[in-house]
Amino acid sequence: MLNIIVALPAEARPLLDHFRLRDKQHNTAFPIYRNTDMALIVAGPGKVAAAAATALLAGTGTSHTGAAWLNIGIAGHAHHAIGSGFIANRITDNATGTSWYPPQIHNLPIATETLHTVDRPEDDYPAAGLYEMEASGFFPVACRFSSSELVQCFKVVSDNRTQASTAVTAKLCTQLIAGKLADIEQLVNALSGMANEYAAWHAPHPDLEQLAARWHFTVSQQHQLAELARRWKVLTADQPLWLDQLQKTRSAAEVLQRLEQHLEALTASPA
Amino acid sequence: MFNTIYIEEQVADHPRTLDICARFSQATQVLCEHYGEVFNPKSQNFRLQKRKPALILAHKHNRRVLETPAGYGIGGTDNYYFSHMLNCLYDCRYCFLQGMYRSAHYVLYVNYEDFGHDIDAILHRKGNQPCWFFSGYDCDSLVLEPVSAFMRHFLPFFAARPAAHIEIRTKSTQIRSLLQQSPIPNAVIAFSFTPAAMHASLEHRVPNIERRLEAMQKLQVAGWRLGLRFDPLIYQDDYRQQYTRLFEQVFSQLHSDRLHSVSLGPFRLPRTYFRNIVRLYPDEPLFAGSFAASGGMISYPEEVEHEMTGFCTRELLKHVPENVLFPCMLAA
Repeated sequence: MLNIIVALPAEARPLLDHFRLRDKQHNTAFPIYRNTDMALIVAGPGKVAAAAATALLAGTGTSHTGAAWLNIGIAGHAHHAIGSGFIANRITDNATGTSWYPPQIHNLPIATETLHTVDRPEDDYPAAGLYEMEASGFFPVACRFSSSELVQCFKVVSDNRTQASTAVTAKLCTQLIAGKLADIEQLVNALSGMANEYAAWHAPHPDLEQLAARWHFTVSQQHQLAELARRWKVLTADQPLWLDQLQKTRSAAEVLQRLEQHLEALTASPA
Repeated sequence: MFNTIYIEEQVADHPRTLDICARFSQATQVLCEHYGEVFNPKSQNFRLQKRKPALILAHKHNRRVLETPAGYGIGGTDNYYFSHMLNCLYDCRYCFLQGMYRSAHYVLYVNYEDFGHDIDAILHRKGNQPCWFFSGYDCDSLVLEPVSAFMRHFLPFFAARPAAHIEIRTKSTQIRSLLQQSPIPNAVIAFSFTPAAMHASLEHRVPNIERRLEAMQKLQVAGWRLGLRFDPLIYQDDYRQQYTRLFEQVFSQLHSDRLHSVSLGPFRLPRTYFRNIVRLYPDEPLFAGSFAASGGMISYPEEVEHEMTGFCTRELLKHVPENVLFPCMLAA
């Protein structure tokens, strides 16, 4: 699952078309669009809006630990060419001075740059790096719901010292994002791939849910069951969780005991 | 090798920083105020980051040279350890580092001189009596030598301090810096081994046994004092045959009478580290077996651990005298 956060409808438009995101969700504070593998939310400008939209998307029930998150938008830079695209390697909230460092573990040939999140559009670009208004709201919130390697920001330069931010129109914004769809798609694919692997690593035994529903397990027993199911998965090469043989057991405690005994028999001790 | 190098502002102009950055001129350099901003955040996944760890260049401010846990040693009474680097190029599945650290990035402390000052302070405090300093706790001591120049700095340092003994623990074959200088009598180069099948399944990116033995042979011919570390001892059903074969292979290629020390270490991890590692690698067969929890540590059941160390000790005594064997050297 990949979640995209953008600030502006003009930024969303080419992404909706390219990734075939439909099903606008009504009755939410922010427009949400989806396909089977992706959701996009339009947050509105600013880091507070970005944080709120990120949290809302995480709470809609389709996100899970290990989903990938991507903030896409426009940004200003003193010198970079209009239309150039960058992945953030550092995000600094200029108001607080706090910085975050999205791990760069992909192998994509996309340049990276420092991001400064500011509260108002910046036209002087005093320090090196890109200037935008959402990333410092998006990144720390997204990291509450996923691992930071799966949380990234991609920005397209819309203004610089020769072309001010006042010249940025909705049409230009859409064109700039559309011009970087190839890079965005690479990043989406890389993040989605890692997220899918991450989810596969942590997939519980397929029979676990059924087993847990058949008897009443306390919270502590649920943890024990999950751990036994993990070991079962490895030691039996993913065999069914012995459901038929457990039919006659009368309690969750007895289930745990029988599973543990069977596992102990599989793990030999020295003679 | 590194796409990204994070640099603490404090060490941005340090000569070692400049050398390393010049060596990796294609890497993106990202400044940070303190390396902990990059290394410490909770929301990181060691397993994901291990695909492409970055390098972090930093300054170690304090707690640079620490006393080892009780029971840890190879004959000395005053034992310390120091880590110029955090995390390892290798990816051994039993390693505690993956449970202890959230990030897999390599942290290199460039202020070697401060480590040296602390070692000198200890030697002075101990009246220049022999002290042991163990390198290779939080990292492999040699594998990043071409980048870190750790040996290039510390071998002359220890050469000038005969009372300071250093153990350089490694699985690496990066021995060029050692072969380029005369051996120093107060250094022991200690190589770690597990049997071949365990090496293949658990020690990712580590040179095979044959290459490590070849490196040891070269060092032994050159006159370096060597150690063997069978640590951790890993249980498999046929561990007896595996370890017997390993010992025979090792001792057929080295002059056992010239070894400084041989030690064993049981497989043990702090409970929290074990839990973290299992979360990272839930499908790892090593962690699917039966373990015992005691005193905040996870280990094999006592009878298994006792049997394994007893067996391996008896086998090793067929090859080395008792005075160089240190069984049950506590794993870190």
